[in-house]
Amino acid sequence: MTQVPDSRHMTATTATRVLGTVALVAVVLMGLLGLVVSPADVVQGQAVRMLYLHVPSIWIAYGAFVLTSFSSALFLFRSRHRHDGGRHHDRLAGSAAEVGVVFAGVTLVTGMLWGRVTWGTYWQWDARLTTTVLLFVTYLGYLALRRLPADPVIRGRRAAVMALISFVNVPIVHFSVDWWRTLHQKASLSVGRRPEITGEMYWTLLYSTLAVTIVASWLIVHRYRVIRLEELRDEEALEALIASRLREDEAQA
Amino acid sequence: MDLSPRHEVEKPGELRQKVHRNRRRAVLAATVVLIAAAAFVTAQGLRNATLFFRNVDEAVEQRPELGDRRFRLQGRVVPASVDSESGVTTFQIVHGCVVASVRHTADPPALFASPWIPVVLEGEWVLSKVQTFAGIDTHYFLSDRMLVKHTNEYASVNEQRVSEKLPQGFFNDCPFEVPAADS
Amino acid sequence: MSEVTTVATGWGLSFVVVATYALWVVGRGKTIGRELGIGGREKLEPESDSSKPADS
Repeated sequence: MTQVPDSRHMTATTATRVLGTVALVAVVLMGLLGLVVSPADVVQGQAVRMLYLHVPSIWIAYGAFVLTSFSSALFLFRSRHRHDGGRHHDRLAGSAAEVGVVFAGVTLVTGMLWGRVTWGTYWQWDARLTTTVLLFVTYLGYLALRRLPADPVIRGRRAAVMALISFVNVPIVHFSVDWWRTLHQKASLSVGRRPEITGEMYWTLLYSTLAVTIVASWLIVHRYRVIRLEELRDEEALEALIASRLREDEAQA
Repeated sequence: MDLSPRHEVEKPGELRQKVHRNRRRAVLAATVVLIAAAAFVTAQGLRNATLFFRNVDEAVEQRPELGDRRFRLQGRVVPASVDSESGVTTFQIVHGCVVASVRHTADPPALFASPWIPVVLEGEWVLSKVQTFAGIDTHYFLSDRMLVKHTNEYASVNEQRVSEKLPQGFFNDCPFEVPAADS
Repeated sequence: MSEVTTVATGWGLSFVVVATYALWVVGRGKTIGRELGIGGREKLEPESDSSKPADS
């Protein structure tokens, strides 16, 4: 993952170039299906097209936060068995969380716009909306914690603990519509329940989820590589600074 | 000549601390702001989220406790009851075999036109004798804010379904008849 | 705001957010790579790079 051929293609490899091309094609097709091919809804009209962005975005955010938690747990409990001290897991946790926050942000923006035309309001403090914005803010906090300058291992441990605590909110967000009365509708699709969604819309939603997953995977791989580069730069800068100071001292002595 | 005590900074740990001090302060400030934001959101949530609305049957039962307090009322709009005159929309909503008469003083959202659409109304009970499909009632609900609570059902406009589907058995065992949608 | 305007704004904003983030990630990688001097191979082996497509 750290192979970097030259500065123009710093975080890209042949595999990620292929993945990136597939992601671009998938997004174009998603736009075509979501905006042109799929039908308008009998009640919501054209506004239903927000479904194909809003729902996949939050699923990808959930998935990214699962990856962050899993990697954080491995970093905390398995790092001593790895030659790199578990920093691979730390990087994976950080990159997935950042991509998760981007898609949680997309969920909030698309949800607010969708709410304006269907509910008649951008925002209400119901249980689903409140827990979702809390999820967004919590993971922003996690990303801020990752930027606090500290020893990489100590910083990684702090971040991993916060990641595991933050994840508690993910099932709360998902089940909030079942546990409390909300303005937000119940889950569009759930395991073991017949979907209340017509065929073309159902397949467009599933396809959009696949397309957004490919985009998110590409982003996570690249962000992982950038974190590795940031670490290399920090280490190199620090070593150079220490070496220059020691040389100065030696010269003065 | 540089007279600053640079030779005192010998250990890499100390040097790292000095290099990162300003950045740490900035990030700490950002973290404090984020924690404050999280606290605000949680407070809002605890106040509002757990009982976002009362269904019609509960709100009618709780009239003595509610008095003239503002609250949110949820029910499905009876399509045959909707009438609009000089900026006031009157209609009836139903839930749990209880009907309430509503006077809404603001513009309803566009989806309100969809038959049997569930709505959440903000307002209060007003003492006044009114006629509903279920009989005579002692109060009507005066509302100035309407939110349409659309369901998780999606169907193509090309299909035959023209209205919001009523849940199966919605009017089962109700002691009154409600007229079907006009459309 | 009409339904169509809302859908256009929602899709447009989402696309801009994700594309901006993707460009930031790639750009940051390039900037740090240059700082680290990893890009030295470009000058040493210009032919080997010319066939490569841009980042995607």
